[in-house]
Amino acid sequence: MGKQLYIDSVVKCDVLIIGAGGAGLRVAVEICEKRPDTKVIALTKLLSPQKSHTSTAQGGAAAVDPNDPSDKVIYHMFDTWKGSDCSGDQNVIYKVCHSAWDQIVWLERHGMHFSRTEAGRIPKRVYGGHTLNFGKGGKAARTCYEADRTGKGIMDTVWGEAIKHNVRFMNMAVAAELLFDNGRCAGALVFQEREGKFVGILAKSTVIATGGKMQMYLMNTNCRQNTGDGLTLVLEAGLPVMDLEAVQFHPTGLVGLGFLAAEAIRGYGGILRNKENQAFMAQYAPVAKDLAPRDFVSRCIMAEIREGRGLVHPDYNLPFVWLDLRHLPEYIHSQKLPEVESLMRKFLHVEPRTDLCPVAPVAHYQMGGIATDEFGRVQGQQLSPVAGLFACGEVAAASLHGFNRLGTNSLVELITMGQVVGQSVLTYLKDAEDHDKMPPDAGKIVFSQFSDYLNAKGNGDYSSIRNKLRSVMMENVGIFRTENTLTQAIESLREFKEEARKIPAPGTSLAMNQRLLEIWELNHLIDISAIIATGALHRKESRGAHFREDYPERRDEFNHHSLVTMPEFDNMTIGKRPIDMSIFDAAEENYEHFDFIERKY
Amino acid sequence: MAQTFSLSLKVSRFDPDTKKSWIQTYTVEAGEVLRLVDVLRMINENQDSTLTWPSSCEHGMCGSCAMRVNGKPVLACELLVGDAVEYFKTHIFSIKPLTIAPVLRDLVVDLETAYERIRVIKPYIIQAAAVHPEGDEYRIPPEILQIYESATRCINCFCCAQACISRPARFLGPNAMLSGIVRLMDHREMAKDERMDIVYGDRGVTRCHTSRACSHVCPKEIDVAHFLALAKESQLILSKGKMPE
Repeated sequence: MGKQLYIDSVVKCDVLIIGAGGAGLRVAVEICEKRPDTKVIALTKLLSPQKSHTSTAQGGAAAVDPNDPSDKVIYHMFDTWKGSDCSGDQNVIYKVCHSAWDQIVWLERHGMHFSRTEAGRIPKRVYGGHTLNFGKGGKAARTCYEADRTGKGIMDTVWGEAIKHNVRFMNMAVAAELLFDNGRCAGALVFQEREGKFVGILAKSTVIATGGKMQMYLMNTNCRQNTGDGLTLVLEAGLPVMDLEAVQFHPTGLVGLGFLAAEAIRGYGGILRNKENQAFMAQYAPVAKDLAPRDFVSRCIMAEIREGRGLVHPDYNLPFVWLDLRHLPEYIHSQKLPEVESLMRKFLHVEPRTDLCPVAPVAHYQMGGIATDEFGRVQGQQLSPVAGLFACGEVAAASLHGFNRLGTNSLVELITMGQVVGQSVLTYLKDAEDHDKMPPDAGKIVFSQFSDYLNAKGNGDYSSIRNKLRSVMMENVGIFRTENTLTQAIESLREFKEEARKIPAPGTSLAMNQRLLEIWELNHLIDISAIIATGALHRKESRGAHFREDYPERRDEFNHHSLVTMPEFDNMTIGKRPIDMSIFDAAEENYEHFDFIERKY
Repeated sequence: MAQTFSLSLKVSRFDPDTKKSWIQTYTVEAGEVLRLVDVLRMINENQDSTLTWPSSCEHGMCGSCAMRVNGKPVLACELLVGDAVEYFKTHIFSIKPLTIAPVLRDLVVDLETAYERIRVIKPYIIQAAAVHPEGDEYRIPPEILQIYESATRCINCFCCAQACISRPARFLGPNAMLSGIVRLMDHREMAKDERMDIVYGDRGVTRCHTSRACSHVCPKEIDVAHFLALAKESQLILSKGKMPE
């Protein structure tokens, strides 16, 4: 018999925000600005909310400035729809694109340090897949930015505002289990890593904003803590997740390291080159060239590497191609791309002004996530909203991005949908009643998990399972997928899950037990990987970032979202959710661009 | 192929359950392109699953993994093995946690305590200026932004606070000052008097001894001491909310 686990204390609040990154805190601030007496608790796994992964986003946030005579919101909507390979939801696309500029101005007024034009205004630059006049008018400069640290600007701004509005932070804390009271979400059972204690947080409404979840890939841009905990929370509650097989590989990760060389580089004229020094993108995308969308460019790079025109890095023994920035003007290097230059110099000893930079595609972003409606309300199996439960940011799929996200559309999603979800929570709070006490079965799931980890007697090797998982996902469920690679991956994942049960957590203490949490995270990574691989196996077509070599074309019979429930490992049901076509259905001017159109660049 | 080094890491350990502290030596073979976070992960994976160390983004944008390496505060994610051997001229490294906050376990310190100093400086606009007549964003000329832009790159890793020779109880710290000084220079901030009360208050810039250690260790290569000096020259007081000429 092991250690008895129990709930140490119970705290009550109006709103519990799980994940205090850009999306979570934008929600928090919207609530506090409009209803100042609201008691908001924001959890972060990290040492401080300011450390959130939002702060690593480089490029910018797309928004059509109404003062710009050449650009129109409908162009941004079209680019997002086309970029998503006709699988984003048009109600969400409409909402996000229409509110984007207001939210940029909101950030600026709250002190974000945007870069400036000569006239002192917010500058805009070009990014992949963003065009004028439905792809016929050339590149659109609509990406608002703070040098190449736009995410940091957003993070610092919403974090500062959250402090100003007395949001209560709980650092080094994870939500381990959602609580329910007669079908309404009643908060979460929270594990505090620092104290090693479980605290029940009873909240009238709960917002999941845990961000990205790509640590299951060997080469990824995500932070150490991006392990899919938010997805597992809803899965364990029997709720569905959507489109997890849509995994974006960013074309230009630093070789061997994973983190990014911003797409903005190619926006300024950076060129991808192969071993023979050829600017190869022109052959694949004659019009968009290096600024084709990410899924497309990543596949082209991999094609070059497969056909022997890549290089192998001597230090990392990994394939790569070159990113050429040498011809960019001096002020671009120093003022627009200072963080990228510093990364290249420090980590690769490369001087981008004189040297070629070695890059390769890396897992970056998951378009799919917790299924929500256009108001950020989490959906149950019948697609009706679960009372009191919301999701926002990368963990959520409303879905703006469908099967491929355009660069800069993630930051714009978290500020626009952050505001929307804040409003949804405010509406919900009007009639929401208090939850008086903890549900009697609270802790059922997490206590059994933690007891298993602490009492495991096997010889399961944490690091070997983690490393095998990351290799299998990279090789078999990566940029190119086939029935064969996916089937093999699913078999391996079942083995990993079995082996993971035999990993003993060291010691008996719950406080600051790093490996204990790592085992919990590893289980989440295996669970989410199983859904990615299974979703990819069932989707016998290629759409956006999901590319099946055995089914290389998009197929109309898959014009829907994949909806998966998995209350326990491998016990999956796979359903569908229709793609919202409201712009097309409204049949107003230019609606024909919002049909299931051909996607060429 | 990358060169490999035999490293000896003397790591400060602390167990919060027994309150025991000790130095543990780990010997590792590490390639020159590995970073200190990779080496710690290797030890954690292959030698000692109890070794606990902080990190998050692991590319110098979050500032979670600051620690002392042979006495110097650095970000563990930015220190490549080859560079470390060359810089410190040794294969033996002492790895210690920061001292600016209580140690929770091994190399992890309670940054929440350290951040209390940042909260004092109010890292937000206290009172915003009137909205631009056209109703959209404020106009900030690029030459004005350029005066303080580098200070906005601060990630609160606390390396400068660690290196600072003023005591934390007396001084809010160089990074906290940067945040206050930026808002003093920011046209959008109206609460200049309240800002000056903090920046020139008891725990403000007058506690700085001008050692310039902050600039020396800053992983973002911000000339922190330059901004402290600017504030100390009182230009900001005289300008009362306007930009220094």
